[in-house]
Amino acid sequence: MADDKDVLRDVWFGRIPACFTLNQDEETEREAEPYYLLLPRVSYLTLVTDKVKKHFLRVMRAEDVGEMWFEYEGTPLKWHYPIGVLFDLHASNSILPWSITVHFKNFPGQDLLHCMSSSVVEAHFMSSIKEADALKHKSQVVNDMQKKDHKQLWMGLQNDKFEQFWAMNRKLMEYPTEEAGFRYIPFRIYQVNGTHTSTPLILESSQGTEKRYQVVIHGIEPLMETPLQWLSEHLSHPDNFLHICVVPAPSD
Amino acid sequence: QSLSLSVTAAQMATWRRQIFEQLSERTKREVDEFRHYEQAIEQCVWVKKGTM
Repeated sequence: MADDKDVLRDVWFGRIPACFTLNQDEETEREAEPYYLLLPRVSYLTLVTDKVKKHFLRVMRAEDVGEMWFEYEGTPLKWHYPIGVLFDLHASNSILPWSITVHFKNFPGQDLLHCMSSSVVEAHFMSSIKEADALKHKSQVVNDMQKKDHKQLWMGLQNDKFEQFWAMNRKLMEYPTEEAGFRYIPFRIYQVNGTHTSTPLILESSQGTEKRYQVVIHGIEPLMETPLQWLSEHLSHPDNFLHICVVPAPSD
Repeated sequence: QSLSLSVTAAQMATWRRQIFEQLSERTKREVDEFRHYEQAIEQCVWVKKGTM
């Protein structure tokens, strides 16, 4: 049987094939071809779409270009959710590649946070790591790290460097041997209405009845008896939170 | 007794095996057919060839 450490690699190297298409209402000087990319599930849209932006700017006038944002079937995609969460939440039962529409005007400020540079993503990412460590270790681990250690976590994610990231992240995953695990498990639960919560959610038992919901983490459905501590250590995102999507079961 | 200690070895094997199998299926579904796609993040190459 595979080693538990293999799960960390599978999680890190998860990819979603995506087809980016320019919104039909954008002003262009010539036709914009779609752009195909393999997106890292654990990263953020605004961090990994420089190539998409460059591709579409070639056919647009500078004065028609506002802040870039993304939409899937009418839903603006929140860049501060991990890419894999956005896919599992909105598109997990759709045909691949994931079809994403690119916009450069009419930024939906009521739905999306602005993100003009990667430093905004970095601030969000580091804030989440600190929040998670407050729950797991009363902030002791993250506070004991130096600034260069924080930078190593961020650069690992930004440059898709698994070894660099985990050399530091393993410290955030440790706990005293006399304790059974973390003080609290950092998690976020997402539902299709676009909200996320850290409060308990009661799922009705599906035994003997038709399954109404899927509980999805990284595109898979772990069994309900999987220990939460193990899930937290192995299936957390780089921000150290377990991101759990509750989506309607496909009706076949 | 904690939950993690109360599960039997057989149950543990079941949930672990199920996660490994599903991750493997996920790779086949989401990656294997699309390996010809460009990666969003280029792996840095610090030494580049060029003419002066």
